[in-house]
Amino acid sequence: MAIKIIAATGCPTGIAHTFMAQEALEQAAKRHGVEIKVETHGQVGIQNPLTPEDIAEADGVIIAADKDVQAERFAGKRVIDVPVGKAIKDPDALIEQIISGNVPIFRGKEPVTEEKDVKVETRSGSGAAIGHTIYKHLMNGVSHMLPFVVAGGVLTAISFLFGIYSFDPKSSQYNEFAATLKTIGGMGMNLMVPVLCAYIAESIAKRPGLVIGFIAGMIAYTNGTGFLGGIIGGFLTGYIMLGLAWAFKKLPKVFDGLKAIFLYPVIGLFIVGLLMWVLSSPMEAINKGLMSFLTGFQHSNPVLLGIIVGSMCAFDMGGPVNKAAYVTGTMLLGQGNYYFMAGVSAACITPPLVTGFAALFFRKYFDQGERNAAYVNFILGSTHITEGAIPFAAKNPLTTIPILMVGSSISAILTYLFKVQVPAPHGGFLVLPVVTRPFMWVTAILTGSIIGAILYGFSRKHSTAQQAENREGIASVI
Amino acid sequence: MAILTLDNIRRGLIAKSQVEVFQAIANTAVKNGYATHADAVIQGLKDREKESTTGFLDGFAIPHTKNAAIQRPGIIVQTMENGVEWDSMDGQPVKIAIALLIPESEAGTAHLNYLSKIAKMLMHEEVRKQLTHAQNEQEIFDILSQYLGE
Repeated sequence: MAIKIIAATGCPTGIAHTFMAQEALEQAAKRHGVEIKVETHGQVGIQNPLTPEDIAEADGVIIAADKDVQAERFAGKRVIDVPVGKAIKDPDALIEQIISGNVPIFRGKEPVTEEKDVKVETRSGSGAAIGHTIYKHLMNGVSHMLPFVVAGGVLTAISFLFGIYSFDPKSSQYNEFAATLKTIGGMGMNLMVPVLCAYIAESIAKRPGLVIGFIAGMIAYTNGTGFLGGIIGGFLTGYIMLGLAWAFKKLPKVFDGLKAIFLYPVIGLFIVGLLMWVLSSPMEAINKGLMSFLTGFQHSNPVLLGIIVGSMCAFDMGGPVNKAAYVTGTMLLGQGNYYFMAGVSAACITPPLVTGFAALFFRKYFDQGERNAAYVNFILGSTHITEGAIPFAAKNPLTTIPILMVGSSISAILTYLFKVQVPAPHGGFLVLPVVTRPFMWVTAILTGSIIGAILYGFSRKHSTAQQAENREGIASVI
Repeated sequence: MAILTLDNIRRGLIAKSQVEVFQAIANTAVKNGYATHADAVIQGLKDREKESTTGFLDGFAIPHTKNAAIQRPGIIVQTMENGVEWDSMDGQPVKIAIALLIPESEAGTAHLNYLSKIAKMLMHEEVRKQLTHAQNEQEIFDILSQYLGE
C-alpha cells in the first residue's frame, strides 16, 4: 500500500509561501509515488483541512510553517517540523525522510488541559457529527486492541500444536513449554477487553479516561461481560470523566495538579467502578439462565438448534452468551453427547474465518492493518479462537454481529444435519483426527464462513461508500 | 479592475539594491491605481522581507505585503537588467520580482486565491524557465495569465 503523508503549511502573510510549500510538497510526493494531502493555513483561512481520519491513517506528518498550525493534533505521529522555506527549497528531502521512517514521534508541545478537551468534545459532539464521533472513539479502542488479539491468539494457537490438552498437567499430552505459551497468550487475550474499554474512554476524555477505562475494562472482563461490556464501559467511563472535568472546571488553578493525580482517578473510579459493578453483575445470571435454556433444546430439530447455537456463539464471542453455549457443550461432552459440541465448535470457528475470507474477497474495503489481522484470523479461526473476530465486530457491532451470527448459524445447522461428532472441547481443526465425518464438518464450516464473508464484504463496501459521502458532506459544510 | 494588466509588467530596471526594486514596484502600483502611497508599500515590502526572505530559486523573488495603502489586490512584475542581492534560498541574485499586493480589508477570497496561484506556479521549474527566457512584456503577461486563468 502506498505511503500516506499529510502536511500543514503556513506563513505569516498566508498568500505566497504557504501555497508554494503546498505545491512543492505535492510535486515531490508525486515524484516519489506517495500520497500526500496538504492543509494550507493561508490568508483566506484553512483550506483542504485534514480530518481526524487523515491524521489517523497518515504514515508521517510534515509541518512546514512559520506560524501555528495546531500541531497538537499530530501528537503520537511521526512529525517533521520545519520552517516553510525548507519545504519550498528541498521538499524531496522531507518526503524521503518520511519514507525512510527515520522520524521521531511527536509528543505535543504542551500538556493538553482537560478544559480544552471538553471544548473539543462538545464541538465535535454536536449535530450530525455524533455518529462519526462515536465511530472515532470505537476505532481508537479497536485499533489499540488489535495487536493484543493477534499476539495472544497466535501464541495460544501455537500451544495447541503440541496437542490440544498440552496445557493440562493431568493430561498425557502435557508439555511445559506449550502450557507456558498458552498462559502467556491467554494473558494477552485477557487484556483485550480492558484495552478496548480504556482506549474508547481515552478517545473521549483523554488521560483521566484512560486510567478509569482500564479499571472499568478489568471489571467488565472479571465479571464476564465480554467485549460488549467493554464497549459499554468505555463510553460510560469517557462521558462520566468528561462530566467530572466539567464539574471541576470552577476549581482554582492551584488544584490542577491535585485534579490529575487525585480527584479524577479517585472520584472517577468510585463512580464508574460502582456503576460498572452493578451493570455487570447480572451477567452470571444471564449466563446460567441461557445454559439451562440450551440444555432443554439439545434434542430439538437440527435447524432450530443450529440457529440458536450459532447465534449465541457469534453474539458476543467470549462474552456471557457465547460462554453459555460453550460451557453447555462441554457439559454435554461429559454426558457423552458429542453432537452438541460439534455445532458449538463450528459456530465458534466461523466468525474469524468470515473476516479472513471477507478481507480476501473484498480486499479494497479493508486497510492494510485490517487485512493483516484478517489473514491471521485464518489461523485463529482454525484453532477455535473466536476472539479474533472481535476487533472487526467492535468496529461496527450493529451490522457485523448479525452477519457473524448468520454465518455461524449456517455452519452449526449444517454440522447438525451432517451428524458430525466432535469429542474435544477446543482446538478447532487441530482435532480433526478425532472428529467423525471430518470432511463434512470442514465443508459445513467453510460454507457458513464464505456466506458470512460475502455478506460482511458487502456491508463493508456499503459503509465505505457511505463514509466517503459523509466526508464530502462535512467538507462542504466547512 | 484586473489583478494583472500588461501595464503592470515592467522590464529592464537597473537597481543597486532591493529597496530600489521596491521603489519601482511601488511607483507602478500607485500609477496603476492599486495603492495610494508608494512609501507605505515600500515599507510594507521591506517589513515582510525582514521576517524572512521572499527570494527563492533561479533568480526569482515574490515580495509581497498586506497593507492599508493598498486599495485592491494586484500583481506587479519587475525584471532587472542586473541581478539584485536578495538573500535568496539558492543564494542567486534576483532578476525577476513578482510582487503580490494584498489589501488590508479581506476583499474576497477569489482574488487572494489568484495571488496564491501565481506563487504556486513559480514552483514549477518549467514556468521559471519560460519567464526567464521571455523576450517582452507581452510574453510574460501571456505566461502569467495562462496560469491565472486555470
